[in-house]
Amino acid sequence: MGKNLIYVIFAICLLMAGIVIAIIMAEPVAGSGGVAHPEISGMQVGGDGQARLVHIGNLAFMFHTLLLLLIVCLSILGVSERYRSKDFILYMSGTALLSLFCLWMMWSGHQQFMETGTTGYFMGFPIATAWQMYGTWISAIPLIIIYSVGFRKYIFTEQDEKDFNELLDDQKKKLEQ
Amino acid sequence: MEAFRQEIILGAVFLYMVFCIATGLWAMKRTKSSSDFFIAGRGLGPIVVALALFSSTLSGFGFVGGPGLVYSIGVSAFWMVVISSAGYAIGFFLVSKRIRMIAELRNCISLPDIAAARYNSELVRFLMAVTIVLGVMGYLATQILAMAVVMQAILSGTAMFADIGLVTCVAISSAVLIFYCVTGGIIASVYTDVVQGAIMMIAGTLILFTAMSVFEGGMQEATSIILANDSESMMPFGAAGVMASLGWFFVFGLGLAGQPHLITKMMMNRNISDNRSILPMSLFGYIMAALLWISIGVVIRAAVIDGVIDPLALPDDAASVFLSVFANPLLAGIVFAGLFAAIMSTSDAFLNIGTAAIIHDIPKAIHGHSVKNELMWARIVTVLLAIVAASFALYSHFKDATLVALLGAFGWATFAASIFPVIAIGLNWKRATVMGAVAAIVSALVINFFVQLAGIVPPYGISGGLLSFLTSLVLFIGVSLAGTEPELPDDIRRAMDI
Repeated sequence: MGKNLIYVIFAICLLMAGIVIAIIMAEPVAGSGGVAHPEISGMQVGGDGQARLVHIGNLAFMFHTLLLLLIVCLSILGVSERYRSKDFILYMSGTALLSLFCLWMMWSGHQQFMETGTTGYFMGFPIATAWQMYGTWISAIPLIIIYSVGFRKYIFTEQDEKDFNELLDDQKKKLEQ
Repeated sequence: MEAFRQEIILGAVFLYMVFCIATGLWAMKRTKSSSDFFIAGRGLGPIVVALALFSSTLSGFGFVGGPGLVYSIGVSAFWMVVISSAGYAIGFFLVSKRIRMIAELRNCISLPDIAAARYNSELVRFLMAVTIVLGVMGYLATQILAMAVVMQAILSGTAMFADIGLVTCVAISSAVLIFYCVTGGIIASVYTDVVQGAIMMIAGTLILFTAMSVFEGGMQEATSIILANDSESMMPFGAAGVMASLGWFFVFGLGLAGQPHLITKMMMNRNISDNRSILPMSLFGYIMAALLWISIGVVIRAAVIDGVIDPLALPDDAASVFLSVFANPLLAGIVFAGLFAAIMSTSDAFLNIGTAAIIHDIPKAIHGHSVKNELMWARIVTVLLAIVAASFALYSHFKDATLVALLGAFGWATFAASIFPVIAIGLNWKRATVMGAVAAIVSALVINFFVQLAGIVPPYGISGGLLSFLTSLVLFIGVSLAGTEPELPDDIRRAMDI
């Protein structure tokens, strides 16, 4: 994950762009972006969930997967190459896996609901929605932890601080000359 | 207490406005240079920066438009909120350290200053400044309109101001905003942000508890009612569908690191190492305040479906109806003050960056130097910018009553698509070129404006923001890779090595 990282990010962006184009060209489904509520003005309904996903469900799932990978790759890009140790990459891979797990639970929970019409609840929300809401929030928490706890190891080490102060001194000297 | 509901709400908002004016006067004594006016002399502590960051993120869009969107399209609108943890993380990983380093190294006072230093290009500075001015106009107008709509709702409930017009409300709210922004610049802005942030966190938490008590079965009963009426609107992708939801996930998540009013605040902290505590504090504050967005939206949608209350005249009325029907008058007072706080904190941030673009960056890009007596011009342009934005807000409102939320989303997407690649990726990738940056900014502006103005509606709820953001990312990296590796100034290269 050194100089090649930007190519990985570029590839992910290209794939996502390709997926969006494929979705735009897919057979349209009436009301796929929501339709007006039959009785209450200003409110929209989603209608038949299966029908809305029939042509684009797999593409949307891939888009979602790539987006989560992009988030992790961009976070890695923000860490200097020399600090991207095996431990760090392993940790970030774990973060990506946690995100993908939450994604899978959410998508499969939604699919299950569409097939059976029944759902359990977790902390006030239907299971699939609870995975979306709490899962999406929580799956990025490892990024916050590594940033805060690992700040002096991966983001801005004591040596970095010294180097930056040296750079500032050099810059001051240049200006004085 | 119920008999004095309007008076209590009015009193809370009045007290808050007096506080803003007092802060402006206090900060005026500390504002001695344009660096103080625009970036608080890079001397802020971690708590101040953390609260300023999150309270600027959660604007009138979050307090007024957010609950309205949940009412209108259900869970689809959750995606703008739940992405916050990843969004803040990316912002800090990619931007916070390097932007602060370059700001100190080159004495930068604005985002276009940073871009010009990084790319060694006045063209990039100019394009970024123009982008900021365009985006600020749309966004600031939205904020002022939201502030006036809320003020009208409060004042019209009293006998004395029952017939107060929107124009008068725009004038009053803009006057307070202008006063403390002009006198105290960003110092007044960030210190009011601290109180604003605290109010917003308290308001969000109290609202959650109130919302959970509306139905006997709590939040689960509310979501069950919505699910029984239309299951999709309570499922993960809501009424707007999967691509609208994922589009917001993309634009709001990654786009956070491209919002100039937020990342400019990353230049203001005293020490780079403060970032380690700023990130978790900002995120915690945002989550607490955002509870309001989700809980009000869900409960009001369920209450309307269940016949507990009448359907809303406009989705954007969700928050004010909730407060007037379900909230204790004292809580309503706190939340309305919090609402003003949220709107004002975003507005003052926009006024500040818009003014910097006009008096500092555009002249510098064209003439090679900014205007003389920057501080005086900063104050004059702040007034003019607010007046123009207020006029734009009134014009938009009376000509076309579009949802406040969607206007806000358009502004966010424009910034995300044009600034994220250039700053967030550009500060971490030495191979990024001027041509790549120009391609990203121009494509983002053209696509966003074209889709919006031409009224193009892509299928499956795909937004113009998603299209422009993806295009600008691909062009930024692709064009940079196709060009020759740029030679960076020595100090920038060394800063990017750290």
